[in-house]
Amino acid sequence: MALLEGQGLSMAFGGLLALRGVDIAVEERQVVGLLGPNGSGKTTLFNILSGLLHPTAGEIWFGGTRVTNLRPWQISRLGIGRTFQIARPFVHSTVFDNVLVGVTFRSRDHVSRGEDRRREAERLLATVGLAGKASALAHTLSLGERKRLELAMALSTRPTLLLLDELASGLSPKGREEVVRFYGQLKERGLTIFAIEHSFRVLARVADRLLVLDQGAIVADGRPEQVLGSPRVVTAYLGEEE
Amino acid sequence: MPRRGWIGTSLVAAALLLFPPLSGFHPYYLYLVSTALLFGTLATSWNLLAYAGQISFGHAAFFGLGGYTAALVSLSGLSPWLALALGGAVGASGAAAIGMASARLSGASLALGTLAYTEIWRGIAHNWTAVSGGGAGLIGIPPLTPLPWLPLDLARSRTGSYYLALAFLLLVIAVFWGILRSRLGLAFAAVREEEERASLLGVHPLPWKVLAFALSGFFSGLAGGLYVNMVRVVEPDLIFSHYFSILPLVMATFGGLGTLLGPALAALALYLASELLLHPYIPAFHQLPYALALIVVALYLPGGLAGLLPSPSPLPKRGEGETRHGAA
Repeated sequence: MALLEGQGLSMAFGGLLALRGVDIAVEERQVVGLLGPNGSGKTTLFNILSGLLHPTAGEIWFGGTRVTNLRPWQISRLGIGRTFQIARPFVHSTVFDNVLVGVTFRSRDHVSRGEDRRREAERLLATVGLAGKASALAHTLSLGERKRLELAMALSTRPTLLLLDELASGLSPKGREEVVRFYGQLKERGLTIFAIEHSFRVLARVADRLLVLDQGAIVADGRPEQVLGSPRVVTAYLGEEE
Repeated sequence: MPRRGWIGTSLVAAALLLFPPLSGFHPYYLYLVSTALLFGTLATSWNLLAYAGQISFGHAAFFGLGGYTAALVSLSGLSPWLALALGGAVGASGAAAIGMASARLSGASLALGTLAYTEIWRGIAHNWTAVSGGGAGLIGIPPLTPLPWLPLDLARSRTGSYYLALAFLLLVIAVFWGILRSRLGLAFAAVREEEERASLLGVHPLPWKVLAFALSGFFSGLAGGLYVNMVRVVEPDLIFSHYFSILPLVMATFGGLGTLLGPALAALALYLASELLLHPYIPAFHQLPYALALIVVALYLPGGLAGLLPSPSPLPKRGEGETRHGAA
């Protein structure tokens, strides 16, 4: 059984059908990329998987447990962490406190000693290269630093599955290289990753499998080289010739 | 807090401790400063709730519930000390009850909900005559009884209630100080800043919000109980008046939201300016300091008086040092 499974996931906002019976399966320790044009339903799918939205129809299973309609903190405690395309740190808190929240309030691998929690938060900041910014307020960080903070926050709950929403978007070529390196490190740590990226190049280098969403439905699923050459994917991005 | 801040705070604390003998134990001035101290407690408890991101226009409800409870319990013949404690407990319960509404309401709608909540309690106090005494309220509330280990005349002099009001203020400040350095403060700050983000990090927001309401309501209820004990009367239009809801908000905002001492210092300054400088000479304008304070905050000082202080050096390690928010 896959680590994460979604069956027949649909999401309607009034008359707008954002997802239409989507089936997904993410195997353990895989990096699965999710591609799709703007408005195809990628972030809606992530919002459903992380508990921010409840699907109109369909079921979600994580690690053999049914998680459909669970609340975000319950899903987080089961081991799903996520980042946002536009970073959403606690902007008036220090970078250190941003990471400490997840370390303190996760129930999996709970650390009871305050000193141990602080050490773990420091380690996480070092992992993403923000150790020198621990005492800065989050709103003073640059875009790239905020993205790294997002990642540290998501890792602070010790997830087994990470939902990464456009970690590389808006970054310089150097920043993207760093993101590719992060993907490698996360994979080495045994994490399962489900990632939205706009950059084909990033996903082609890091993903074991790609899914393509278009108008709320999966239109391609396979190895990166198969999917990126698929006519359906080209049509989804460029439209059909008249 | 910067060194100058500590010196200033120590001077204010010393002046408050020595005020009764310095005033010659003058009953009017003791009553006045005691009331200012109670407003300091209310403003700090309002600030504690705001630290968790919850805005209240209804602290009069918690204050009034504490006041009525203390009055009813002490009038029934039980110890006025027990009455005070129960006032705090009922204030906490009443606040927790409206705090549950924060599951569905937030921001302005929650604030208006708390305002309506106060009106409900005022209506109950007006109409449940058999218990509350109706619009006329309850009179003849017994004074606090002497305690063998406390060398204060609590029945006849105002000194006892003065020091009790000071103790309540120090207690709420100490509790808030502890919260700022604990995981409680971390949860409150996370829920205040980004509730949804906090929930994705394992924080279930509602229990923390309800806890913030309960803590804030507890100290407001204590203050209400002592206030009733000082004035020996409780009536709905006084104790559930907007005065006890809006002034703590103005004081906390003027002193500096999220700061440890700003709201209490602002409460002392504004209340005493109103009662000592304006009330005797131009009574019609005695509430001017509050209006001016609100205008100054809105136009020039978004961080309140604490915003005038130099920024503290950020200390990231919660549990060892101060946080950004609690440093002024």
